[in-house]
Amino acid sequence: MNTDKTRRGKNYFKRLLAVRGMGQVISVTIGLIALCVVFQILSSNFFSPDNMGNLLRQIAPYLIIGIAQSYVLITGNIDLSIGSIMGMSSMMAATMMTKGVHPVWAILTTFICCVAAGVINGQLVATCKLPPFIATLGTMTIARGIAQIVNNNHNTDTISIGIGKATTEAFKNFFYYGKILTFGGKMDAGGNLIGGFSIYSPVIIAIALWLLFNFLLSKTRTGRHIYAVGSNADAARLSGVNISATITAAYVVSAACACVAGLIVCATTGMGAMDTGNSYELYAVAASVIGGVSTLGGQGILLGTVIGAAIWSVLQNGLQFAGAPVAIRNIVIGIIVVLSVLLDVLIRRGSQRRLTDTPFLNSLLNRGQEKTESRV
Amino acid sequence: MRSDAAVADKAARERNAPEYIVEMSGINKAFPGVQALDNVSFQLRAGEVLALLGENGAGKSTLMKVLSGIYPRDSGEIIVFGAKQGEYNAKKAKELGVAIIHQELNMCSHLTVAENIFLGRELTKRGVLTQTEMNNKAREILGRLNVDIDPETVVGDLAVSKQQMVEIAKALSIDARILIMDEPTSALTAKEIEDLFRIIRELRADGRGVIYISHRLEEIGRIADRVTIMRDGKYITDMNNEDTTLPEIISYMVGREIKEKYPKISCQRGGKIFEVRNLNAGLMVRNINLELYKGEIVGVAGLMGAGRTEMTRAVFGVDPKESGQIFLNGKQLIIRGPFDAIKNGVVLVPEDRKKDGLCVRLSVRENISLPSLDIISNRFGYVNLRSERAMVEKYIRELRIRLPHAEVETVSLSGGNQQKVVVSKWLARNSQVVIFDEPTRGIDVAAKVEIYNLMNDLKRNGIGVMFVSSEMPEIMGVSDRIIVMCDGRITGEFMAGEATQNEIMKRATMFDDKLAVAESV
Ligand SMILES: Nc1ncnc2c1ncn2[C@@H]1O[C@H](COP(=O)(O)OP(=O)(O)OP(=O)(O)O)[C@@H](O)[C@H]1O
Ligand SMILES: [Mg+2]
Repeated sequence: MNTDKTRRGKNYFKRLLAVRGMGQVISVTIGLIALCVVFQILSSNFFSPDNMGNLLRQIAPYLIIGIAQSYVLITGNIDLSIGSIMGMSSMMAATMMTKGVHPVWAILTTFICCVAAGVINGQLVATCKLPPFIATLGTMTIARGIAQIVNNNHNTDTISIGIGKATTEAFKNFFYYGKILTFGGKMDAGGNLIGGFSIYSPVIIAIALWLLFNFLLSKTRTGRHIYAVGSNADAARLSGVNISATITAAYVVSAACACVAGLIVCATTGMGAMDTGNSYELYAVAASVIGGVSTLGGQGILLGTVIGAAIWSVLQNGLQFAGAPVAIRNIVIGIIVVLSVLLDVLIRRGSQRRLTDTPFLNSLLNRGQEKTESRV
Repeated sequence: MRSDAAVADKAARERNAPEYIVEMSGINKAFPGVQALDNVSFQLRAGEVLALLGENGAGKSTLMKVLSGIYPRDSGEIIVFGAKQGEYNAKKAKELGVAIIHQELNMCSHLTVAENIFLGRELTKRGVLTQTEMNNKAREILGRLNVDIDPETVVGDLAVSKQQMVEIAKALSIDARILIMDEPTSALTAKEIEDLFRIIRELRADGRGVIYISHRLEEIGRIADRVTIMRDGKYITDMNNEDTTLPEIISYMVGREIKEKYPKISCQRGGKIFEVRNLNAGLMVRNINLELYKGEIVGVAGLMGAGRTEMTRAVFGVDPKESGQIFLNGKQLIIRGPFDAIKNGVVLVPEDRKKDGLCVRLSVRENISLPSLDIISNRFGYVNLRSERAMVEKYIRELRIRLPHAEVETVSLSGGNQQKVVVSKWLARNSQVVIFDEPTRGIDVAAKVEIYNLMNDLKRNGIGVMFVSSEMPEIMGVSDRIIVMCDGRITGEFMAGEATQNEIMKRATMFDDKLAVAESV
């Protein structure tokens, strides 16, 4: 009886490990914990409630664009336009608001334009069969152009000149500054909360988006189709999957997420900057791949993207806290990204070999064993 | 000093001509969740063709991968040419002269035939590739095999059977002393099989050892000197081919008697269910007209490259049609892609499992349920995991798919079990017409019977069944009506009782000019 139970428990653990990509997620989580410990040692303030709240808020936009890129990567494609769509979103919304358009309408219009960009990406890749790298390089450039043109090649003024102070505050709080929950901290004379651990609004937005898109990816037909297309498009098509619709859906999710990330940046500064989101598409690739989403398609889970985004932000935040100059920060982050992608490639190569029946990892794993045997 | 002794020892042994060139004993090999090899012993003599037989997942490919050094063994002894092997790997095996032709094609489809044959050991002159020399050498080897392939063609452009021949040429070019062939004929035409057998006999006469794995048991009697049988990862027995019979071999393989290799049920032939009219699609599908009736199985015979696969793909909407109409129960269907066909209840079990059948990196569960997700999900697309599991478990049980659990990546299954996954994908839907393209390729005898029984069930339930096969006994044994194709056209049609193998072959080789004559008569 007892053994039966333990066996079942063991089996459950095995099944958990068998869940696609779970192994990688567990190993990067260990990496994340190690990083946090190192930064706490380097600067004892790292784990302060204040910094933790801040850190979570910093992770949010990376997680959102990470979700965006993960969707597209899992279909076996790439979206280079994420950063520019962020810029476009930020500039369009800000320009409209400086002209007095109510934020709700400004956001809605912006969102529709971004989704349209996603549909165009999807159609170019899936229907016109352009290589995704080229197609989205094109839309990336165009979207950046639009971001520049909407306000005549200038960053916008602060949005409060159009929609007034109160609405501006509401907009900024909704996307960036709002404290949804606070633990600890104290009131100052003016009745404002100072210090403590706060969960800010972007964290809630990111969690909501993650729950939604994780559900979509792991529990629904569309999600299953996304994996199937990335794994083997021919087989998916013969199984009745609409390839073009599936890829388009992934690009639309990507563009929608990029739009939200752009709005968060806009709310942070209260204005629109033309270079918003510059090279964020690559940060998004980093967050995805660190988290175990493969650039070759068909593999990875959004749980990994959370860890990937967290590692990215912890690196930024921790190095800053530890007082590393920007140049050093860049170098360290670059090295860590390359290392984690290298790990991905190595693991991939191992299993890829298994496809062609040359088990690279098997031989690695069994080498020690074999040596002891040959000594006998 | 010691090495001198060793050399003398070796020479003495060579004089006595060791009986066995390969001796493996007590071999164990486990994968997560499976003991693939369990205390297996195996011997091969010089100058013999040894057939290695067993059900899907019995461990044949795994044992051969251990022998060729691709998988390290967990434990056990390997002796090759009398020398006991310690650490053993692919490089060592190659040096000893062990070559293997894998069950699945392993080629760089963007490279040319010659480049593939010499991959990894390109001929060079002062560091520069000698393209012409490689092409000439490749031509010579291909010539020996009697195949007409230009070494400069890109492999991806060749038919599967030709790719398989290139694979064989590649192994021959190494000049191996021990040659392992893992299901080499499952994709070959009859003529190519003859050429292969000729080569195998030459190798045998030359004193080399050949290990031959196949699920086409009729071949065994023709080519093998000895058979070794495995079941469930264990060695069962080995026998001289002359001393045994096919039923005996089968009972050792599956552990029980198989009464009927081609079970057949008789049904009342009902109304017309499916019709294809004047279908044209490219060079290989020309003016196809065919009908399916309830309560019958239609076999499509023909040589490799007769356009049978192309025909099924055009019907299913994978490849575009130039013209033609398709009717289901008298109603015309508009099929723009597989999606439309499936929606209307017409499904295709495709031929090439690696390319068209499976997402190998996804789990078995996800593969089996992929075409039926609409059935097990609600209006909003939410997939009901419980009904999915139930559906998947049902087919794993029914087709006896051998796996640790349904969550493993499909790539880790044995070849035959992968094929069973492909077939089961399509059974979950209540379709009206099921087209099978080579459904039993690489499947063991017992599982073949399982699949024939499934086809019979479909037939009994009034579903239109059409199946393409290159195995004549299967076509003749299972179909109620046989359609023969050649060169993209239908060149003959027989009722089951009337067909003879000769007559079918004649129609299958009725190429254009002959057809013109036949039509004018
Ligand atoms: N790389 C692998 N990872 C995990 N399991 C494996 C791997 N290769 C083989 N197996 C398992 O080992 C067992 C034996 O497989 P093997 O491929 O040797 O069978 P086989 O006798 O060649 O069958 P078939 O006739 O279907 O080709 C199977 O249960 C299979 O699932
Ligand atoms: Mg095998």
